[in-house]
Amino acid sequence: MRQLWQRWQALPAVLQTLVFALVFALLGLGMTDFQLSLVSEMLIAALFALSLNLIMGYGGMVHFGHAAFYGLGGYTVAILTLRYGVPTWLAMGLAPFVAALGAVIIGWFCVRRVRLYFSILTLAFGQLLYTVVFQAADFTGGDNGLLGIPKLPFINSEADFYYFTLVVFFVCFFVIRLLVNSPFVLVLRATRENAERAQFVGVNVRRHQLIVFVIGAFFAGVSGAMIAEHNSLVAVDMFFWATSSEPILGSLLGGMYSLVGPAIGGALLIYLEVTITRFTLYWPLVLGILTVFIVLVAPSGLVGLVRRWLGQSVAEDSA
Amino acid sequence: MLLQVRDIHTYYGLSHILFGVSLEVDKGECVCLVGRNGAGKTTTLKSIIGLAPPKRGVVAWRGQPINGRAPHWIAQQGIGFVPEERAIFPNLTVWENLDVARKPSTTGEVRWTVERIYDLFPRLKERSNQLGGTLSGGEQQMLTIARTLMGNPELVLLDEPSEGLAPLIVELIGELVAQIKAEGMTILLSEQNLRFALRLSERAYIIDDGKIQFSGTTQELQNNPELVEKYLAVH
Repeated sequence: MRQLWQRWQALPAVLQTLVFALVFALLGLGMTDFQLSLVSEMLIAALFALSLNLIMGYGGMVHFGHAAFYGLGGYTVAILTLRYGVPTWLAMGLAPFVAALGAVIIGWFCVRRVRLYFSILTLAFGQLLYTVVFQAADFTGGDNGLLGIPKLPFINSEADFYYFTLVVFFVCFFVIRLLVNSPFVLVLRATRENAERAQFVGVNVRRHQLIVFVIGAFFAGVSGAMIAEHNSLVAVDMFFWATSSEPILGSLLGGMYSLVGPAIGGALLIYLEVTITRFTLYWPLVLGILTVFIVLVAPSGLVGLVRRWLGQSVAEDSA
Repeated sequence: MLLQVRDIHTYYGLSHILFGVSLEVDKGECVCLVGRNGAGKTTTLKSIIGLAPPKRGVVAWRGQPINGRAPHWIAQQGIGFVPEERAIFPNLTVWENLDVARKPSTTGEVRWTVERIYDLFPRLKERSNQLGGTLSGGEQQMLTIARTLMGNPELVLLDEPSEGLAPLIVELIGELVAQIKAEGMTILLSEQNLRFALRLSERAYIIDDGKIQFSGTTQELQNNPELVEKYLAVH
């Protein structure tokens, strides 16, 4: 098993990513519409968790307002298509940039503070956006959200959307992977370890933090746009702080200090939610127990457990 | 003059630590700042690098005032800081610790590469893939010095490199600093260990109670046992 693992690790990144994508593509052939839709949603949640983990895991910035960028992504698609008649593909292309722009503005303020103060600021900005979207009902649909987002021209079935999601997810995953192994993220990890030390090594800590904040928001915008397109609607809940907590719990469940951990955790949460709500309405209770269990028993998440089993150092960051 | 510190006053909150410290370091010199614990050595270095910006006075780098600028900006101007607490990144590997600090000098020159660092510090080469936090105290001190060199600085501020290390390791660190000095590096060394400091430097400042009490060549200091007794001896 370990040998197999080592051989796998020796493969180039592109190949690894392609193997994963191929497995999902083959799985898609045998899935029902319900399963296709579920796995699409899981992949979108995985991307959302990955985007947060850039900021929280690699940057060490605990971020409680990530829903803002998810919401910005989704609402950009909805508003541009429904209010201005912009073609869906263009609206979806613009969505991540709108989210990133939002992050430039919000991040500019937030990175001026550290730790708890940073976290509280992100939460405050997130809730601020939520309230604005909630109140500006004429433009945003308020509590009702916006319904009837047009489908992309090439999507005629659940399977089409599934394969589209696969492409988007794995392209984003590959880019994030490149980033995680780049000098930029190495320096970022140094700032996470000790911001003062990074400073006198010559690192502009705030600038690094702002850049990763914006990159994370960009990918959150992608996932927000994808979920809007998947559901053909956006709801104001996308901005709510509880939405921000989903990728945080996903990262915890999967393992924060790894590349794939948050993706696995984020996807797993969607799966559990959908499966468990079929039997009981008390999904939040199950989620709470699960969270307590992870934090107490496996603080480095599922990936941490696997790594321990493979005999690797748990603190290892790079993929 | 490469570095000029003129009459700086530095505070930690309300406590006044430095009372008008002035000193100068010229290119290629190794100057030591000696004094007892709590005399203001570390604060002087932190005032220069910007971690404890002085409230009054001027820190001039190549004639331009740099006090009040952010530490990362000052570091980018070519001043490297080696703090006494062995400030490595414990969860990065040795190689990553070095890679993080990689930058050319202000003139674009790259004198120090990982290979050259590893020649100078063979111990670090052996431990290249080990996490920084797993190194011994002496190795961490070497890594901090090596990491600072990776930034190709023109001046290195060395804060008590001998502090808390076994005598044999202190010897080794002393030799390394001597080698770096022989490469033409300008060094401002803060030390309690007088023997260690005098062996490496040409000029010395004595600091006590946040004031400079003596300034002269190391020879003058050595010929003046009363000074040593008054400001440096541990009673």
